[in-house]
Amino acid sequence: MSVKLAERQRALSKLIEILLNLRNQICGLGVPLFSAFENIGNERISGIWSEIFLECGNAMKEQRIDAGEAWKMAIEKRGDSLPLDESDWQVLSDFGELLGKSGKENQESVLDLEKENLEMLEKKAREAMNTKGKLYRNLGVLSGAAAVILLI
Amino acid sequence: MEQQINRTDDLNVLLSAYLPDRIRKAVKGIKDNYINGLEEIRIRSGLPLMGVFSGNDYFISEEGNLSQNRQSALNITAKEVNSLFLLLCEQSIYAYQEDIIRGFITLKGGHRAGICGTVVYEGDRIKAIKDISSVNIRFARQVKGCARDVFEKLIRNSQDIYNTLILSPPGCGKTTILRDLCRMISQGLDNGSFRGLRTAVIDERSELAASFRGVPQNDLGPRTDVLDGCRKSQGIEMVLRGMAPRVIIVDELGATGDADAIQMAWNAGVRIIATAHAFSFEDFKRRLGVGQLAAKDGFERIVLLGMDNGKRWTRVMSVNGSEYSSLVQDSGMPDGVYRVHSYRNEDVSKACRETACVIKTHRNPS
Repeated sequence: MSVKLAERQRALSKLIEILLNLRNQICGLGVPLFSAFENIGNERISGIWSEIFLECGNAMKEQRIDAGEAWKMAIEKRGDSLPLDESDWQVLSDFGELLGKSGKENQESVLDLEKENLEMLEKKAREAMNTKGKLYRNLGVLSGAAAVILLI
Repeated sequence: MEQQINRTDDLNVLLSAYLPDRIRKAVKGIKDNYINGLEEIRIRSGLPLMGVFSGNDYFISEEGNLSQNRQSALNITAKEVNSLFLLLCEQSIYAYQEDIIRGFITLKGGHRAGICGTVVYEGDRIKAIKDISSVNIRFARQVKGCARDVFEKLIRNSQDIYNTLILSPPGCGKTTILRDLCRMISQGLDNGSFRGLRTAVIDERSELAASFRGVPQNDLGPRTDVLDGCRKSQGIEMVLRGMAPRVIIVDELGATGDADAIQMAWNAGVRIIATAHAFSFEDFKRRLGVGQLAAKDGFERIVLLGMDNGKRWTRVMSVNGSEYSSLVQDSGMPDGVYRVHSYRNEDVSKACRETACVIKTHRNPS
């Protein structure tokens, strides 16, 4: 359990990094969304998010759909492989809904808002890891000790 | 036939990439014999779908039938125009922000989508266009070989050309001629009389190369570098420093600073081929700023283009007015190929006035 909490925090932290990369590609370089998603998907540092972003870019290109739809399709297909819980998905499900639908200045605000949401999730995940994680670890140690005592 | 296949291929790329379903189905339904003459698709919110075929407007029905009667035409909804706009922008409006402000988006294949809607200002500057109401998709056609006869008059020797200015009123084919000249200057001539030269194109309005994601969609020759979307005055300086071209090609001179940048290129020994809107060389000379380029040590060849009785004419002159040739060419043919006829005529003014007569007389010299 404590491992899963740590993985969740790492996944959210990684998504914040990806968002910074996406911001640079959108607001700095003006790369079209499907290309930006593919670029992120092809970068090794994107880790467990690679598949999702590749899927998203591909869906936008092949099926001529917007980023919001493509994101929903991608997380439906590959979301299970990520160590996130229900509350995370509730926040993340609308990610992409406003992407690509306005000029650079507006996109900057959209991405800043997404980043704030993610930072909030990541903070909660870190707190959960520090409190519940410690609890689960102690419980594990105590259960182990109890089992040893019983066996003796 | 090859032209037909290319047009159908072009159309298929356009259809699958950009058009919303109902419009795609209607355009796909247009009979093959009309497709070759398709020049524009006009899509307006709340109005019938329209196509321009060899200069004539027709409404297009849901099945692709053409008619002058709007009752049978496919009516376009605002949602479809919005969806088309997003598809043209590849679902990334920010990536096409600069193009949108200029009023058009360059598409794959060099085609162009003009857009209309509500303009949003920030001070004196257009910030955006919102509520898109009309889209006009215009098919690009590169007419290879249309400048062949002109080019021969611009060759100084096998490795050099004259500084040349192409003048005409709007709509006479300046950019088409310039594009073909660029291709030939860069490629050279097959008979070896002219070797290709390193060429740089400052494509301020993306009309010459029609670059799509940085890749020129038109053939500008194998020795051509394209600086896309850059102001001429800045672009000339940039390529002089970075690309060491022998020839620089620019379209539509006229902005402040253009003349200084061209002088800078001449000082560096680089040749310039440029176009400008003007009704005559005298008209160009009077222009503030760029008019100084018409001086004795400025452009060496002047190419004048015009239309007379529906026929295009071309004159190649020196700055002092001596004539090198007068060329008369038919206006655009349905197959997209311009037929060019070359003449040597002492009395060019008369020839231009009597273009139709000249064609009749010289087409069969025997």
